[in-house]
Amino acid sequence: MKLFGLVFALSVFAFGVAMMHIEINRSGREIGRLQNEVEIKRARNQYLELEAIRLESPQTIEQLAQEKLHLRRTQPQQVIILED
Amino acid sequence: MLKQKNNPFIYNTKARMKLCGLLCLLAPLCIAGKLFYMQTFQHDEFTSKAERAIYNYLDEDRLRGKIYDVKGRFLAESVRTHSCGISKRYVKNKNETISFLAKVLHISKKDIERKWQRNKNFFFVAKKIKPDTYMDLLPAMKTSVGQGLDLTPEYERVHPYGSSAIDILGAANSKNLGLSGIEQMFNSELSQEISKRRAKRARRGELIYDRSLKEERSVGNVYLTIDILAQYYAEKALEKAVKDYEPEHGLIVVQEPKTGRLLAAASYPRKDGQSLPFQFTYEPGSTFKTIAISSALDAGAVSINDPIDMSGRKWEIARGVVVRDNQHDKEELTIPEIMAVSSNIGAGKIALELGAKNLFYYIKAFGFGTKTDINFNGESKGYVPPYNKWTVVDTATKGYGYGISLTPVQLIGAYSAIANGGWLMQPHLVDRIEYADGRVDHKAEVQRIRRVLKPETVETMKKVLEHVVKEGSGKKAQIKGYSVAGKTGTAEKLSKEGGYAKRHHVVSFCGFTPVEDPRFTILVVLDNPAKYTFGGTAAAPVFKEVAEGLLAMDGVAPDRPEELQPVQK
Repeated sequence: MKLFGLVFALSVFAFGVAMMHIEINRSGREIGRLQNEVEIKRARNQYLELEAIRLESPQTIEQLAQEKLHLRRTQPQQVIILED
Repeated sequence: MLKQKNNPFIYNTKARMKLCGLLCLLAPLCIAGKLFYMQTFQHDEFTSKAERAIYNYLDEDRLRGKIYDVKGRFLAESVRTHSCGISKRYVKNKNETISFLAKVLHISKKDIERKWQRNKNFFFVAKKIKPDTYMDLLPAMKTSVGQGLDLTPEYERVHPYGSSAIDILGAANSKNLGLSGIEQMFNSELSQEISKRRAKRARRGELIYDRSLKEERSVGNVYLTIDILAQYYAEKALEKAVKDYEPEHGLIVVQEPKTGRLLAAASYPRKDGQSLPFQFTYEPGSTFKTIAISSALDAGAVSINDPIDMSGRKWEIARGVVVRDNQHDKEELTIPEIMAVSSNIGAGKIALELGAKNLFYYIKAFGFGTKTDINFNGESKGYVPPYNKWTVVDTATKGYGYGISLTPVQLIGAYSAIANGGWLMQPHLVDRIEYADGRVDHKAEVQRIRRVLKPETVETMKKVLEHVVKEGSGKKAQIKGYSVAGKTGTAEKLSKEGGYAKRHHVVSFCGFTPVEDPRFTILVVLDNPAKYTFGGTAAAPVFKEVAEGLLAMDGVAPDRPEELQPVQK
């Protein structure tokens, strides 16, 4: 009876350990998935920010201003400095 | 019978059982012995084998800091991308997988099939896959189509301003390692040490993160002194000059004369990490007259109104070495006139008046023949031969910029010294490096290296250089409403056959504006233009274009408002 009890306790312990490992693996997989998702979203965001910067760059603005609005670059003489 | 009786194993059940027990135990004992041996003596070997079988050590992609311009606009940043590879042996349905990849990655099936045929097992189908495409690929990884596909994280170094300033910034690879330019110079500050992570790879290639093996440390962000708008003006003007004159190389440098900060450094051709203002060396020609003449004035060897003999506009320096001036018909010229018409005879004679030793001293004091502390990759120090090896001809020719080679960043530093009152300033390309924890490194302090000219010499030289732009060879650099000082240069290049090639030139213009309170020193160099031209014709208008952009950019008020038309209301 004692032997049976010991074997049973050992089995329960082993089962517990196995379950714990399964849970660790599951959580690790979930963490990996979430980390990946975060990184992808971050990268996507970065690309959008970079695109915004590109659109604000002097090259883009000058090109659009010249082609679509027929504007010319400001000459320094045209700059009026307001003094207090 | 007797034998049987004497044999203890025949009828002794206990002995027989012991023997059986021993035989049964023998195998487990051997196994236990072997296990003991493996556990104690081969422990390390088996542990590493097991680790290798179960875990993948991921080089947790080296993180990399950003590069900003002086106003905090970022010029380079690493973005996480992926590469898609195929392990042929794990692919279930080849046609299905190839069709899927071709559709999602916008690659032709033929290309993928060609790679499939060429490679034994593993090959990359696409690299630098953007996040949106990656998101399209991801669901397939859990189906049979995705079996055998491998999505590996990597980085792309993105430049929001395109190729602008790429020659200074340089390149970094997909592992976030700097390869050239600033990226390489500050690689250790910009990049984070590899933080290895242990992960298990599941059946379908998913990663199950286990633990980090190394602590991450903060990466630095590099702030340059470059202003991307100034850089744009320089690059745009250079592009136009290249189109008009088709030079082999071209460059424009812009410096703040009072601080030594470089605001723009444009090169043609534009290649990552190849910044000509630091790496290009050339004989400057007439732009160097400013250095020789200011040195002579500073040393008191000549005075501003001393008449220099030009008789016959022909001067035989030594037997067989004749210098001619064809651009004027005067028999005598003063220093402002010499500079205005860019007389080689005048500059040569003044250099001889100053003497080889003194001229050498001034040349070195201006920083020629020495690398700047910027230490840009491949930066040259130019060449100034020791004065004790100079002949009379060498001394005279140095007066008008031959027999010496320099880098554009050295020349602009010398002109900035004239602009700022006589101080040679330490040039800066990097403003500071900032770390996430707030630490600041490599702070570019305004640093005067030495005084090279007396204030009174500087004032005289400013007037002389302004006269060059007003009345002389630099007229095309004039900007309405602003005072401009500068000097043109048209230097013949050394010929492969020996001597100087008559049809191969380096044309240049170096100057600053406004003269009284200079904000920008600008150097324009066009190396070997296909069309025959001069510094005053080709380089001076480029100076004007860049200067106009910069003056408007910084809202610098005109210092010659009388030149402007009254504003109509």
